[in-house]
Amino acid sequence: MISAIYNFALTTGANRVIRGARIEHVCGDPTLSPEKDYAFGMRIVTAALETLTVAVPGPTLFDPMAPGKEAAHAS
Amino acid sequence: MRLEMGSFPVTDIVFGPATRYDAGRLTVDREAVLAAVKQDPRIATAELEIARPGESVRIWPVRDVIEPRVKVEGPGVCYPGICGRDIATVGRGRTHRLAGMGVVEVSSVNWHDAGGDFVETHLDMSGPYSEMYPYHRLINLCLVVEPDRTLNEEVKNYAVHKAALTVSDQLGEAVRSLTPPEREIFELTPVDPSLPRVVYIWCVHSPQAMSGSPSAFCTATYGLTQLTPPWYLHPNEILDGALTGPYRTAFAMSWTVANNPLFLDLYRRHGRDWNFLGVISLRTEWTTQTEKQLMANQTAKLAQQLGAQGAVVTWDAGGNEFIEVVRSIQACERLGIKTVFLTSEDDATDGAPTMLEPLPEADAIVSTSFFKNVTLAVPETPGVARVIGLPTKTVRRGSTIGLHGGVDGVALPTSGPLPPPWRYDDHYGFGSLSCIE
Repeated sequence: MISAIYNFALTTGANRVIRGARIEHVCGDPTLSPEKDYAFGMRIVTAALETLTVAVPGPTLFDPMAPGKEAAHAS
Repeated sequence: MRLEMGSFPVTDIVFGPATRYDAGRLTVDREAVLAAVKQDPRIATAELEIARPGESVRIWPVRDVIEPRVKVEGPGVCYPGICGRDIATVGRGRTHRLAGMGVVEVSSVNWHDAGGDFVETHLDMSGPYSEMYPYHRLINLCLVVEPDRTLNEEVKNYAVHKAALTVSDQLGEAVRSLTPPEREIFELTPVDPSLPRVVYIWCVHSPQAMSGSPSAFCTATYGLTQLTPPWYLHPNEILDGALTGPYRTAFAMSWTVANNPLFLDLYRRHGRDWNFLGVISLRTEWTTQTEKQLMANQTAKLAQQLGAQGAVVTWDAGGNEFIEVVRSIQACERLGIKTVFLTSEDDATDGAPTMLEPLPEADAIVSTSFFKNVTLAVPETPGVARVIGLPTKTVRRGSTIGLHGGVDGVALPTSGPLPPPWRYDDHYGFGSLSCIE
């Protein structure tokens, strides 16, 4: 589940919670240029898809915006 | 900060040659009041009509109900900041109010053009659904007003609310120099230090995230509606209308905010049952987890700095705003501040919790119950003899039963049977209706 209010998503029992941008634009940022907005959205969606390959013991938060993540996805 | 509130009970409103108040009877010079409204070139049409309790009258669309208040002594104006009014800090001196009446802002103007929010309140002055709202007990002077349709939504909102405030001001002037029949002194006097120290955490919705505009209309703090950190307000500022504005749900319009029974009781029992510290006004509908938690933390910190031992918490919305509200409660409790939460409940269909995020720290809750027309299958509102406002109402989120079961986006005659209100959230505890078992 991609959510901007991720703590709430965790307490409702979603196993894989991916931190989104904001409630009104969960996978985007209208302040960015179209190209950067696309890349930003891809980063979140790709991170969400990758979590499906990871076994989790229970509700777990994944943060695509965490430091170091960008370099990992660029490779 | 000392405020004397002089009340002028209104027992009848009539139209006449001059606007004046005499022993409960308010005479309104219709032409002069409308001329003042029409001085604003943004106003296209304006009419005044009277709706009395018990009449077979439906008012639609209702954006706001305002209690006329006028500043007689002391700085500033009542209902400050909104629609370009003076922003001087209010709450001192003397204020006069016309009690038992409302100026009803009747207009088709929507809150903003971003979608998702629309004006849906209609008021019945009699019949089974009139009891839902406190306004059916008021004598209502309705301003049916439409702005120049070429304006943008924000300017339209500004223009029609300014027009309603102009009517309110004109009526207030009628009692400016009169001696009020009833007086009450409001002051946070020093009290017995052993009394418990209590703060009111008053959560008010911000339409900024929904509308995309920092100046979209709703309940405003000195005119501001954008997402701002918690405010600390003296209760006298509230009495002078520092928190005011039209609102999408009927239970947090200007009149309801100004007459909030929970707030008034907290204030009137200051020095007797507790030490009332004032109001922390928290804006809600922040849109990230971090922001919501930050506001909760800062609200609790502010309460602690004020020396609060207890907090009463209300909110005026539904949905994700609940997170910063309930987390403020959690943050207060973790700092040792006992909280009581006044709230309506959510739909428990399919075993869902009746609170969006039921945190264990929120363990003292006064419920104003649950009402959702679809879930409870409440019957339609019967037709009425007279309509004030628009002849048709486009019904959204109609109930699933009755003549119009399941209608959505359909325009129905306002005078005929209509689906009941979609939701009923008695934010401040006005209602005395009991529940359906």
